Amino acid sequence: MLDLRSLAVGYRNTRGTVLSGIDLAAEPGDFICILGRNGSGKSTLMRTIAGLQTSLDGVVLLDGEGVASMRPATRARRIAVVLTERQFNPGLRVEDVIALARQPFTSWRGGLTDDDRAAIADAVAVTGVEPFLRRFFTDVSDGERQRVMIARAVAQTPRLLVLDEITAFLDLPSRMEIMALLRSQAKQKGQVVLLSSHDLDLSLQLADSVWLLDGDGGFSVGTPEALSESGSIGRAFDTEAIRFSSSQGRFEIQMPASPNP
Amino acid sequence: MAARVSTSGAALLASLGALSLLTLTYGQIALPLADTVGALTGTQSSDLARQIVLEIRLPRVAAAIIAGAALGMAGVLMQALFRNPVADAWSLGLLAGGQLGVALTVTAAAFAGPAAVSFLTFFEGPSITLAAAAGVAIAALAMLALGRRVGAITLLVIGLMLGFTSQGLTSVLLHFAARAGGRVYGGWRDASFAGVAPSALAWLSLPILIGACVAVATAKPLSSLLLGETYARSLGVKVTSLRYAVLAATVLLVAPVVAFCGPVSFVGLIAPHFARALAGTARILPLLPLAALGGALLALAGDAIVHAPWEQHFLHLNAILAIVGAPVVILILIFSPAVRQWR
Repeated sequence: MLDLRSLAVGYRNTRGTVLSGIDLAAEPGDFICILGRNGSGKSTLMRTIAGLQTSLDGVVLLDGEGVASMRPATRARRIAVVLTERQFNPGLRVEDVIALARQPFTSWRGGLTDDDRAAIADAVAVTGVEPFLRRFFTDVSDGERQRVMIARAVAQTPRLLVLDEITAFLDLPSRMEIMALLRSQAKQKGQVVLLSSHDLDLSLQLADSVWLLDGDGGFSVGTPEALSESGSIGRAFDTEAIRFSSSQGRFEIQMPASPNP
Repeated sequence: MAARVSTSGAALLASLGALSLLTLTYGQIALPLADTVGALTGTQSSDLARQIVLEIRLPRVAAAIIAGAALGMAGVLMQALFRNPVADAWSLGLLAGGQLGVALTVTAAAFAGPAAVSFLTFFEGPSITLAAAAGVAIAALAMLALGRRVGAITLLVIGLMLGFTSQGLTSVLLHFAARAGGRVYGGWRDASFAGVAPSALAWLSLPILIGACVAVATAKPLSSLLLGETYARSLGVKVTSLRYAVLAATVLLVAPVVAFCGPVSFVGLIAPHFARALAGTARILPLLPLAALGGALLALAGDAIVHAPWEQHFLHLNAILAIVGAPVVILILIFSPAVRQWR
């Protein structure tokens, strides 16, 4: 369903190419985690896949159609994004934010039909944002805010959901809950969910497939088990202080050798 | 929510009607309500009453309503476009920019010679509106470019400062223009609705009508822009063309107000907040009519106070608007959660 063909992403300025030669595919229902350290190109890749940035080379195909050449309105019906960026929203209520997801489907006035209302009600139910629907968006907590933005993306009924580091501000239970929620969305609705995260543990537990960026323009792809065993995760994340243990499936802190044994 | 919007709209409309009638009855000569209504409907009324109501007071009241509505709608557009709760045509220097545009045109005509001046005088309505539109557009483009680099409050301060600069320049230019014989039209130097001749009402309202249509057409994508540029693009909005469309609507709404009524302060800044409170939403489409009605009501109320039967005519419109408006802006700066984020 989602195909990346010899894709190169980056910027047409001094930052230049970030990643190139990417050939990947994803099928309906895939829950994919993109892992990598800061600056490894996760966001650039995701923005390019979502059509928010043009690719330097190659194409992103969604259901066989090039994302970059789609009409903006068509793309908005098929791809929903959630980002970390925080914006000022004067007087916007939570319910307004979620309802805005239906704009690609409404007439020029933006009035909601029964279908739109049903999609919104479903998104509100699965994300559990019902209790603060009438609150101002600026007044909800970080965790609630992310939940609202996810509800908005779900209400957009996309084929592809792109979420960039959305769990960064959340505590562990909320992170687990949101990752599980997104995984079940992918499975139930046959959507492709593409999520970038720092959260190695959870990603390795839940992902169908992991796209791992090593920070030097290289990347590896595979199931969490395969990447963990091949040592790719270690190569991408190990520092002098921590080391990924493929037998344990987690990081270990490297104790400096004691001077006096 | 729809019910809230229509109820508030109806209430505002009723208040506006009542205040208009009241404003038509009083002034230097008080007229009984029956005579005023009679003059308006063309039934039994004295010639004097008819002349006072139709030729003096009605154009003033109509100008206040039209200009107030235009400023209110422009405020909604600008606060959404700049994502800034204290943005409006006056606070960001658009009105002063428009005045400077007019002053430059008048000065240029004065130095070009009497033919240019008489041309300008003959086509006063369109030429002054065009000159104001050029000034407003340049000021708006400058603020838009700045708005992407600085925060909301910094932008407000810069806008006010640029406004003062433009007004200073306007005053200097007009002095030289007057010495060169170019005294075309001075009504717009200080805000007032009284200088709008009945024949000018068409020039005032036509661009505003077109601007209102453009505003309504951009309302849906502009609502998406409240989520930020990236989210708006992910919702299928062509952000760059939207910016220009909103800017065009703002110029169409604001330029005629500058040209005929001068720099009317605070109305455009406050009316959108008023509308948001009434509508209970920040979606643009329901805000436009409410802010238009609210702006009209505010402008007319200011005018009604200025033209109340005082011993002598001593009040300026902007003085009244400042007494009411400035405290409201201070409250917004202190309590608006949106502003809090920028401090």
